[in-house]
Amino acid sequence: MSAETARDFEALERQAALIMSVLIGAGCEAVAPAIIQPADVFLDVIGEDLRARTYMFTDPEGEELCLRPDLTVPTCRLYLQRHPAADVARRYCYNGSVFRFQPVGAGAARPNEFRQAGFELLGETDAEAAETEALVLVIKALDASGRFDYRMRMGDLGLFQALLADLEMPERGRQRLRAQFWRPEAFRAALARLTAASPGSLIGLPTDLIASLDTADAATAETIVSEFMLRKGIDLIGARSVSEIAAGLLAAVEDSRAEPIPQATARHIEGYLRIAGPAPVAAEALNRAIGSAGPRSAKAVAAFARRLTLLAAAGIDTNALTFAAEFGRTLEYYTGFVFDIVSPKLGDRTPIAGGGRYDKLLRSVGAVRDVPAVGSAIHTERLLSVVNGGAS
Amino acid sequence: MSNQLPASLPGTRPGKLLLAIPSKGRLMEETVAALSRAGLTLRTSGNERGYRREFAGEDDIDVLFVSASEIARQLKAGRVHLGVTGEDLIREEILNADERVDMALKLGFGHADVVVAVPQSWLDVASMANLQEMARTFHRRHGRRLRVATKYLHLTRTFFRENGVTDYLSVESLGATEGTPASGTADMIVDITSTGSTLRANGLKILSDGVILKSEANLVASRAAPRNATISAVETRVLAQLRNAIPVKG
Repeated sequence: MSAETARDFEALERQAALIMSVLIGAGCEAVAPAIIQPADVFLDVIGEDLRARTYMFTDPEGEELCLRPDLTVPTCRLYLQRHPAADVARRYCYNGSVFRFQPVGAGAARPNEFRQAGFELLGETDAEAAETEALVLVIKALDASGRFDYRMRMGDLGLFQALLADLEMPERGRQRLRAQFWRPEAFRAALARLTAASPGSLIGLPTDLIASLDTADAATAETIVSEFMLRKGIDLIGARSVSEIAAGLLAAVEDSRAEPIPQATARHIEGYLRIAGPAPVAAEALNRAIGSAGPRSAKAVAAFARRLTLLAAAGIDTNALTFAAEFGRTLEYYTGFVFDIVSPKLGDRTPIAGGGRYDKLLRSVGAVRDVPAVGSAIHTERLLSVVNGGAS
Repeated sequence: MSNQLPASLPGTRPGKLLLAIPSKGRLMEETVAALSRAGLTLRTSGNERGYRREFAGEDDIDVLFVSASEIARQLKAGRVHLGVTGEDLIREEILNADERVDMALKLGFGHADVVVAVPQSWLDVASMANLQEMARTFHRRHGRRLRVATKYLHLTRTFFRENGVTDYLSVESLGATEGTPASGTADMIVDITSTGSTLRANGLKILSDGVILKSEANLVASRAAPRNATISAVETRVLAQLRNAIPVKG
């Protein structure tokens, strides 16, 4: 980061104080999680994009560590240290530095060290109420910092999960689509394979071995694979056992026999992913597109509508809230409502604030149960540049 | 940007074209031979200060012997004008390679592929699609991610992402990568191979669509290195001499 001038530093500090007073006023406890974090925790929970941008290092004792690339994971770890049973509702706020490698070179718009002020609402059980509160709170914090033009964008990853769960398809296909959701290209390829009459799952696998596995059960398959390896002089190398390899071959055989999923199902998924527009209009489109796909989709669509009602009641102009089914597809730890705030000055690719629901994160950093969680962070340097009229 | 050469490397003279060539192994021998065919023969005696060498009868070029991966970094930083190194190292060391350097000339030697290789005993994994499927199962079954040993961390990450493989962890390996699956340090590898025989000897096989890059030695020009008219003219001449000396294929 380039050396900041004293004036910028003071302006940032003043702005952070305003934001923090709004958050503390909403009942958040101010916390300061550690800057140096264990690398493995982050590697497992953050998406691959952020993983590639995390500064990692080894300390003199060989411990793999990283500079925190965000404040949400450290705040969740702090909650677990204080409440190992993960059975209480807590709300925290913070203001501090995060560190991200910028692949094409750091610059003023994309520094490799910047500050985030934000909050996390952990353990709140009324999902839509907590989500409404999160968006309202971040808008209030932005308003406290100064006036500027902004747009609100939102998505809801829960809708896709619900639709996928309701649609008829083999479980392995469902798992594959769920895993690839975050990478639109790979997702399209996976969907195409699932609808193809011959999915090609056996291409390149040893033909004679596959033929002899045709009707085998797991135990027989293991024996057949063992004998095959012996005959071909192939040594078993590494952590994967013969039974694991046999199971993989059987799964490929099963895939090759699976009925392709109907084109209509694929179109249903693609149709959903194209929905976009002002939130109230999108709500109607969602209801038409997936409202009757099954019980989970109906529930997710109803939750979407309820959230909009709550947002309107809290004074948010929902017509100014843009929904896109694709939105949030790059943020791997979110599980439901996601949003960001963009300004015409910095453009759509440089959000000033963002956040959403991440119900699986606490368990993956060690909680004994799922903890409902929603939060948001403000990129304070960007905020300062827009409220200053870009003069910083 | 300044017109001055950056803090000059030991033994180099300002205002000269700086050419970096590999400091050891077959790549060095073949580079020296190719240069010699192009009329650029290294002087065996003469000014031996530092590791700078010169071509016989050529006063405008300073030659530096540097390790092949260091050449990529020097080209990126603009500390040399030209360098001979493998495309694999250029693509690995320089994230936006095409903006930073110009792959001016393929030299026709140093052929090798960067490949994804897994144990032959993985009879259920023949392609990247199989690997994608297997990696997810592996994570669930073993409670850890699949470990991929490689010195090509960047190439691996990009290729695996394009192929939808995400449930893995790369482990940096700086030598004898092909032995890591057998020793248990890693589950599979991404490595360079020319004939595949070392891989086979270590019980590994290449995935059918697992060729990440077909690499060979290139003459590479740095876009960042500052040049004056003299340096540019010498550079153009060296490039032409080398191009004419490369045997035409077929």
